[in-house]
Amino acid sequence: MTVAEHATAGFRNEPILELRRAPARDSLLAALRELDERLPLSVPVLIGGDRGDAEGIDSTDPGAPERIVARAGRASEDDAAAAVEAAARGFRDWSARPAAERAEVLRAAAARLRERRLLLAALQVRECAKPWPEADADVCEAIDFLEYYAREAFELDRGRSLYQAPGERNTMRYAPRGVAAVISPWNFPLAIPCGMTAAALAAGNAAVLKPAEQSPGSAGALVDALHEAGVPRDALALLPGYGEAGAALVRDPRVHVIAFTGSSAVGLEIVRAAAETPARQGHVKRVVSEMGGKNCVIVDSDADLDEAVPEIVHSAFIYAGQKCSAAARVLVHEAAADRLVERLAGAVSVLNVGQADSFATEVPPVIEREAQERVLRYRELASDHLAASAEPVPEEGWFVPPSLVVGLPEDSPVNREEIFGPLVSVTRVRDVDEAMDVVDSLPFALTGGLFSRSPATVERVAARTPVGNLYVNRAITGAMVGRQPFGGNRRSGSGAKAGGPDYLLQFVEPRVVTENTMRHGIPVE
Amino acid sequence: MEAELQRVGRSIHAAFPAKTRNPLRALDQKAMDLATQDMELRAALFRFVDVTPACRSLDDLARHLIGNLEEVDAPPPPIAAAMRMSGTKAGRAALGAAAAAGVRHMAHRFIVGETPWAALRAIRHLWEQGAAVSLDLLGEATVTQAEADRYAARCLDALETLAEAAPRWPERSVLEADSLGPLPRVNVSVKVSALSPLMRPEVPEIGRDDAARRMRPLLVRAKELDAHLHIDMESVDTLEATMELVFELLDEPELRDGPSAGIVIQAYLRESPEQLERVIEWAQGTERRPPLVVRLVKGAYWDQEVVEARQHGWTPPVFEQKRDSDRNFEELTRRLLDAWPHLRPAVASHNLRSVAHAVATNRELGRDDSDLELQVLRGLGDDLAAALAGRGMRVRIYCPVGDLVAGMAYLVRRLLENTSNESFLGEQQRGVPLEELLAAP
Repeated sequence: MTVAEHATAGFRNEPILELRRAPARDSLLAALRELDERLPLSVPVLIGGDRGDAEGIDSTDPGAPERIVARAGRASEDDAAAAVEAAARGFRDWSARPAAERAEVLRAAAARLRERRLLLAALQVRECAKPWPEADADVCEAIDFLEYYAREAFELDRGRSLYQAPGERNTMRYAPRGVAAVISPWNFPLAIPCGMTAAALAAGNAAVLKPAEQSPGSAGALVDALHEAGVPRDALALLPGYGEAGAALVRDPRVHVIAFTGSSAVGLEIVRAAAETPARQGHVKRVVSEMGGKNCVIVDSDADLDEAVPEIVHSAFIYAGQKCSAAARVLVHEAAADRLVERLAGAVSVLNVGQADSFATEVPPVIEREAQERVLRYRELASDHLAASAEPVPEEGWFVPPSLVVGLPEDSPVNREEIFGPLVSVTRVRDVDEAMDVVDSLPFALTGGLFSRSPATVERVAARTPVGNLYVNRAITGAMVGRQPFGGNRRSGSGAKAGGPDYLLQFVEPRVVTENTMRHGIPVE
Repeated sequence: MEAELQRVGRSIHAAFPAKTRNPLRALDQKAMDLATQDMELRAALFRFVDVTPACRSLDDLARHLIGNLEEVDAPPPPIAAAMRMSGTKAGRAALGAAAAAGVRHMAHRFIVGETPWAALRAIRHLWEQGAAVSLDLLGEATVTQAEADRYAARCLDALETLAEAAPRWPERSVLEADSLGPLPRVNVSVKVSALSPLMRPEVPEIGRDDAARRMRPLLVRAKELDAHLHIDMESVDTLEATMELVFELLDEPELRDGPSAGIVIQAYLRESPEQLERVIEWAQGTERRPPLVVRLVKGAYWDQEVVEARQHGWTPPVFEQKRDSDRNFEELTRRLLDAWPHLRPAVASHNLRSVAHAVATNRELGRDDSDLELQVLRGLGDDLAAALAGRGMRVRIYCPVGDLVAGMAYLVRRLLENTSNESFLGEQQRGVPLEELLAAP
C-alpha cells in the first residue's frame, strides 16, 4: 500500500472493551495495579526540546483526595510566550510536510494509544474518577479522533472542485493557519485534548496544548504519544497549568486558532479576548468553542418507558452527570408523567454510588471540592422538590448523592443554569410543543433527546429543535467519531462539529487560484 | 440414525392438523404473509404494534398507524385503502378500532390470558388435549425494586393459582412421569432480569445476589407446592448472572431435594457448547434431586445481539448463519441426551428436523420417548404440539400470561420470528417440500 492509500483506508471506530466478559475486566484491574505503582506521574512543561519543571500543580484522585496522581509543572505567561515562539518555528517544517505524511504520524500516535489503552483508562479512573466503561470509551474516542482527522486532512488536501469556464483554471485549496492554542477540559481528559490537537496538527498547524489543571496526567500521555509518533517537538508544546497560561495563549498575537472546550464563562471570555486585534497582529483569530449545555429530554405520551427510564438515568447520572452532553432536564407529557416519575424515582434510588475503580459504580465522585459544593448548592435550592436520591454516599471523596427533582418553577436556577453534576429536573408539559417552547427558551443548544414512537413527532421535533445533537429513543450521551459529529449551537458553542466532516475547516484557510490558460489565443489545455 | 430421523419427521408431519381448521387462523396468516413479503411494511406494522398500548384513543391509534405506514414507499392496495380513511375523524375512529382489534387478536394468539387465573381454562384445555404448559409472566422491564417485588409476587401467585387448580385436571400419564420419576403438573418460567433492577453486564454478581433474594422464596414455595420452576435465559448481558444464580441457589441445603428446576441453553450462541459442559459438570457433581431440566432452544435475541455487537465493533456472540445454529442445535441435543440421567432434556424447537433429530437420537441411545420432553411456544407451535401429542410424545407449551403493555416486547419478538423468511415456520408456510424441511443443516 502506498502512503496515500494507507492514509485513506476505511475508518472504523475503535471497539470498546467487552466489559461483560470477566477477562476484559481483569485486564483493566491489572493495569490499575500497574499504574498505582507508578504514581505519581511527572508532567513537565514541554517547549521545543526543553523539559521544564514538573512542580507546582498536583492532580489528585477525586475519590481519595490525598492520593496524588500526577505532579505537573505550572506554566507561566513567559512559558506560554516561549511555547508560541517555538510553535511558530515548528509550524514552518510541519506545514511543509505532505498531508499524507502528517496523516501517517497521527495514525502512528493512534497506534501508541492503542497499545497503552488499558493504562490510559486506568489513569482516568484515578485522575478524574471516570468509571471504567467511560474511561475505556474516552481512550477509544481519542484513538478515533487521530484516525479520523488523519483521513479527513488527507481528503481536504485535495481541495474542492469548482466550475471551470473556457480559458481559465480554478482551484480551491486549504492551507493551515499557523499556531493553534488548544485549551481543554478535564472531563474527557484524553479524548477532547486529543481531538482538538489532532485536528490542528492534521491540518498542518502547530499546537500548544494547555490542559485542565485537574488532569495533566492524561494530557502528558497524549503529548508523549504524539511526539513519539513523530510530531516535531517544536510543533507541539505542553503547558500544564492554570488559567494564566491559557489566557496568555489567547492574547498572544502569534496565535491563529484557539480551540476551546470548557465552561461558558471561560469560553465567552476567550471569544472576547480573541476579538482584540492589535496592529502588529497580521490576522483575525478564529475561535472554536464548545461550551455548556442545559440538555433536555422530551418524553411524549407514546414513549416506551421501558426504554426511556434506563436511557434517561444513564444520560443524567453516569459519570456523575459531568459530560457536556448529559441530561439535565426531562420534559414529560402530562399523560406519561406520573408513571415516568415513579419509575425514574425508583431507578435513581438504586443507583450505585462509589469509587470509580469498582465496576459496580455508576455514579462516582465529582471532580473536586468546588464542584461538590456547587452541585450541593443547587440541590439545596431544589430540596422542596426532591423526589428521589441515592443515599448515603461515601464520606471520603467529592461525592454528591444523585438526585431527581420534580415540578420546579420554570425560572428556578436549577432549571436554567448548567449544574454539571448528578441532578436531573423533571417538568410536566401539556404536549411536545410546550416542551419545545421550553427548549427554545434556554440559552443553550447542545444535545437533546426525544422519546416518541410517532414518525411525525420525530420529524416535527427534528425540524424545530435548535440543539446540535438530537438523540431519538436513546441516551443523549456517547457521540461517536464519524457517526455523531458533536457540538452545540446558540451559547453552547461555535457550531463546529467535532468528529465530523466539517471540523477541520476551522483549522485551515481556503485559497482560490484562478489562472488564465490562454496564451495569445493558444489554448493550453 | 438419519433414516430413523426421516421416519420420525414424516410421522410427526403426518399428524399435523389440517391447515384451515380454524378460520381465524387463516385470517391471521394473511396478515403475516403480507408482512413477510415487504420488509418496509413489516417494520412499519411492527412499530405500530409496539406502540399500541401507549396510544390514548382510537384517534391516536389511527394516527400512529398512518404515521408508520407513511414510511412505506409503495404500500400494497389494502394498506393504501386504509390510509385514505385517515382523512376524517370518523375514518380514524373506525381505523383505530379495527387496528386495536387486530392487535388484540394477534396478541391472543400468543398470550394465553391476562392473569394466571384467567389462563386456567385454556391451560386445562391444553392439558386435556395432551399438552402440558410452562407459564411465563410477561412484564415491563424491571427498573425499580418495587417492580422486582411485584414480579416476584406475580410468580408466587402463578405458582399458587396453578397448584390449586392442577389436582382437578384429569390424569395424563405421558405428562406426569418419565423413567426417572414423577414430573410436576405445575410448571412456571421466571426471568432473572425481572427479579432485580440491578442487572449490569459488567457486574453480574450484584444483579445475581439481588435476584437471588427474590428467587429463593419462589424455589422454596415451588418445592412446597411440588411445582417446577424454570429459569429462563435472556440476552448475553445477563447470561453470566443467570447461570451463577442457578448453580448457587440450587446447591443451597434447603433446596437440595427440590423443587424440580431448569435452566436454558441457547444454541445460537457460539459459546453454548462450553455452557452446556458447565451445566453437565455441575449436574454430575451435585447430589441434588430431582435432576435439573435443561431446555435447549435456538435463542430469541438474535437481532439484538448482532446489532449491539456490530455497533460496538465486537464479534457477535451468536452464529450469523442459520445453518450453523441448526447444526449446533443437533450437536447440543446429542450432548444433552448423553448426559441423561444427570439432566432431564427438554428440546424446544419448531423446526421439524430438529425435533425429529432429538426423538431419533433419544431412541438410538435406547431411551424411552418419555425421557425426552419437547417444547413449543404458544401461538407458533400449536400445530406441532398437537402432532407431537398425537404421536404420544411429551410436549409442553410455553404460555405467556400478561396484559398487552407487558406483553408487547414479547409479542413483537414473536412476530419478527414468525414472519422471518429464514424461520422454519416461514419455510413451512411457503410450502417448502418436506424433504427439504427435513434435510440435514
